[in-house]
Amino acid sequence: MANTISIWERLGFRKASGVGEAGWGHTLFAAIISLIYFLPVLIIILTSFKLQTEALAVPPKLLPTTLFGLIPEQYVFSPTLENFTSVFSRAYVAGGAAESTGFDRFFFNSIFIASTSVLLALVIGTLAAYGFSRYPLKGNDTYLFIILTTRMLPAIVVIIPVILMFRISGLAGSYLGIIFLYTAFNLPFTIWMMKSFFDELSPDVEDAARLDGSSDAKVFFKICLPQVLAGLAATFVFGLILTWNEFLFALLLTGVDTRTVPVAMNQAVAGGGIGVLWGLLAAIETLFLIPVFLVTFFLQNHLLRGVTFGTVKR
Amino acid sequence: MSTIEARKITKRFGDFVAVKDADLSVAAGEVVCLLGPSGCGKTTTLRMIAGLERVTSGDIVIGGKRMNDLSPEKRDIAMVFQFYALYPALSVGENIAMPLHYEKISKPDRDKRVRRVAEILHLTEVLDRMPGQVSEGEKQRIAVARAIVREPNCFLFDEPLSRLDVELRHSMRGQIKEVLSNLSKATVIVTHDQLEALTMADRIAIMRDGIIEQIGTPHQVFAKPANVFVASFIGTPQMNLVKGKLEKVSGAKATIQFGGERVELEVNPAVGSLKPSEVTLGIRPRAFTPVSAGAKDTILATAELIEPMGAETLVHARTPDESDIRVVVPRDVKFKIGEKLHLRADPTQTHIFGEDGKAVRA
Amino acid sequence: MTSVALSPPAPDFKTIAPDNWKLAIVVGLVVSVLATLILPANAAFWVVGAMAAMVAASFVVNAYRRHYYGGLLVSPAIAVLFVMNIFPLVWSLGLSFFAYQSNQQNIRFVGLRNYQQLLTNDLKAPELWANLTNTAMFVVLTVAAQMIVGFLLAVLFAKQFPLRKYLLILVLTPMMLSVVAVGVFFSYYYDPTFGLISQVIKAWGGEQFILMSNKTGAVAGIVFADAWMWSPFVMLLVLAGLVSVPKYLYEAAAIDRVSGWRRFWTITFPYIRGLLMLALLFRTIEAFKMADLVILLTKGGNDTMTISYHVIRIANEQNKTSEGAALSYLLLFVVIVLTNLYLYIANRRSQGA
Repeated sequence: MANTISIWERLGFRKASGVGEAGWGHTLFAAIISLIYFLPVLIIILTSFKLQTEALAVPPKLLPTTLFGLIPEQYVFSPTLENFTSVFSRAYVAGGAAESTGFDRFFFNSIFIASTSVLLALVIGTLAAYGFSRYPLKGNDTYLFIILTTRMLPAIVVIIPVILMFRISGLAGSYLGIIFLYTAFNLPFTIWMMKSFFDELSPDVEDAARLDGSSDAKVFFKICLPQVLAGLAATFVFGLILTWNEFLFALLLTGVDTRTVPVAMNQAVAGGGIGVLWGLLAAIETLFLIPVFLVTFFLQNHLLRGVTFGTVKR
Repeated sequence: MSTIEARKITKRFGDFVAVKDADLSVAAGEVVCLLGPSGCGKTTTLRMIAGLERVTSGDIVIGGKRMNDLSPEKRDIAMVFQFYALYPALSVGENIAMPLHYEKISKPDRDKRVRRVAEILHLTEVLDRMPGQVSEGEKQRIAVARAIVREPNCFLFDEPLSRLDVELRHSMRGQIKEVLSNLSKATVIVTHDQLEALTMADRIAIMRDGIIEQIGTPHQVFAKPANVFVASFIGTPQMNLVKGKLEKVSGAKATIQFGGERVELEVNPAVGSLKPSEVTLGIRPRAFTPVSAGAKDTILATAELIEPMGAETLVHARTPDESDIRVVVPRDVKFKIGEKLHLRADPTQTHIFGEDGKAVRA
Repeated sequence: MTSVALSPPAPDFKTIAPDNWKLAIVVGLVVSVLATLILPANAAFWVVGAMAAMVAASFVVNAYRRHYYGGLLVSPAIAVLFVMNIFPLVWSLGLSFFAYQSNQQNIRFVGLRNYQQLLTNDLKAPELWANLTNTAMFVVLTVAAQMIVGFLLAVLFAKQFPLRKYLLILVLTPMMLSVVAVGVFFSYYYDPTFGLISQVIKAWGGEQFILMSNKTGAVAGIVFADAWMWSPFVMLLVLAGLVSVPKYLYEAAAIDRVSGWRRFWTITFPYIRGLLMLALLFRTIEAFKMADLVILLTKGGNDTMTISYHVIRIANEQNKTSEGAALSYLLLFVVIVLTNLYLYIANRRSQGA
């Protein structure tokens, strides 16, 4: 109804009116719940600004400020960026000895492996999705269902032969092996996602182009692809997040040189307890979290489709 | 008895004023239609009466009680929604019974009332079906049945017939009118279809841009439009509205100049109070009589397009100053394209609108 | 779409042609089986690979010659999935019929003995049985917790209110975290000395709190972390159902003076039923596969071993490859049964409605 929307309304600050809308009271309640829910993440972020002694302090150092004297001094730590510089400097000073964290390498691995495999899956998967959407085969739904089930499989069912395969072919511990595996890992998701986007396009434009004598390839590249660019982006980023966070395959199939951040993090805490550099780990995790957080924010509209493999559209 | 009163109600969405200072009162048993083009604020007005939107300012009074801060549940009203709003997971019978659960009556009593209403609206056969399995017309009747199954303060209809095809609309109009006359409650119907408003309403309120332009009986709004907008909105084909210059008025004769032409028309005596100024001349297409020769009180126009409409013929003509004029003549009056017409207007159906667009009338 | 008249006729079964896929399959199968039986494993692997490539090539040539564009577009994806999913599946099915340990060379065909062993002896053995009951317990506890918390969160966010978009992201973040981060930092929170939970309890006058010291605590710790991480997933699905309810239905309900309880069951619930089932399926399958959080939080200690973790352990750490394969096939069977059960219920529901 309203054709002029104030900046406040755009930001979500809207006055409550009518059925199904609530006011600031509800916001306050939701904010408390949300913050409690977010607390574990918040503590990770705060820990990334603490020195090791502060991270292990008893009583705990909770906040970087006294909140104008509200919090007693003993619960306050002085924030430092040392952990963040350590992640990339390759030298973490602990007890005087320079020690390589190696996390710059692991970050590179994570980024390289995830982006290459997701890109590969996107190319192959988009073609397949277009095929499934526009040239339905006999028993199309069955094929699609089987493809989805491959993603639902317990990883362990395929992991044993994959390990054997990699050992025989010499792919174990190489970039190629894990990239190829992740490509397969991302394909079902990519196909289902992209198919859901292709299915939404109106076929009229394509038919018109065909009548005008455009080749099938031209129809695909000039007409369909430009319409699903947003979908491609969403699929790419979601695939990235899935691969980014993957742990089991990476644990079993990456070598010393190809280790990804999650595996490296797991090894960094292997000793447990006081020996673990919690501040550094928190800094790594905070850096690792940033892309995910941005994605959640910018892809809100596609979030549901993403987590349900395109089976639920909004 | 139940009455509805809206006193100077205003609704703002941000900077946008959807309804401005609307005054409306509906007597018990009266049917009032809110009529206007889409986006004019008529639905918002209805929703404010229902309590689905909060008024920004002004008062809603139903049955003599101020209801501004009461939720729809507490206003005791029945409403038929534009898209019927049938509960998709419930059968037709359960849909109609929904409003009765509040009254905590026994199941047999509830069934009895549902069946009685279903009979009135010819829904007995479909009571066990789901809303997805009935026709559009039946859906509409279910929505009405759900509204009339209880005894509310008043009835509100939001574009009740807009989703039906022309034929169904015609028959439903009659049915709804009959049902409403038996209920004798204050009723407000929102519509954009003037035929619907003219046939169903006791009074019509015509809205534009959030403002009620005129309230009156169907006859009043047709015969005495308050301003240019109402004049143009009511009646098909549309009233001819031609801009001209009022030069002088003597008695009931006004001299108006448009283009290079000067005509002397018999007008409402109130026009005499106007000083020479720009006016809009409003004459309905059926108020013209073609005469054989030009005279002081005839308008000259050239026939450009001729549309036979069955019993009558619609002639689109153009005056020398390039104004379009629509004329409806009986079927047996024949014209050719390019023929010069001399048109004499019926003085009782000639309206003069001043510079502000308001009708000048005694 | 395919112009039959222009396509060349399919080649006769016996002619050697690049598009004779039927012949390619038969030859490929025969050669593969022979190679597996005669050649050493390493050589057989490459022979089987070459045969698969030959069959794939014949499919592609066939699709190209007969203008099966659908087939052509889909073929690269099928090829990748075949190599990385289907082929390993078949291989592990094959392995499950042999006695094979990946750190030893000898391999012996034993037929169904691995399965027999699993179903008769091992299941009775307390360890494996405990793994199964643990898995079942985790499935029930985590899924129940996620459904309840997710549902409540969805109800909280179903209304429009100021700042909703921003608060929603805070709640959604856990789901987007790496499971390693969750595992690592929950073990930090659970630490008896400097962990926050223990410290809070001490501050309230309690003793040092060792959550992971017994089974109940360890299970609670794992369930809590898993539920925290995945409740937002359920929330997202339920929320989609809640916001898909047309607003006018609630308006009609307000006009009809329908009570809140009745409104939920007759109007809202039908819209979220399907999505709730979907969430239940996704989460049940995932919970059934649960291994990573257990590895990260307890390493299977305090009797928190799950069946998935068990398979990884015997196959990867103890090199009992064949037994692992057999066990994983039993797992796969359970997942398939679960999926079909869901589809059956979902279909019956949609027909009933």
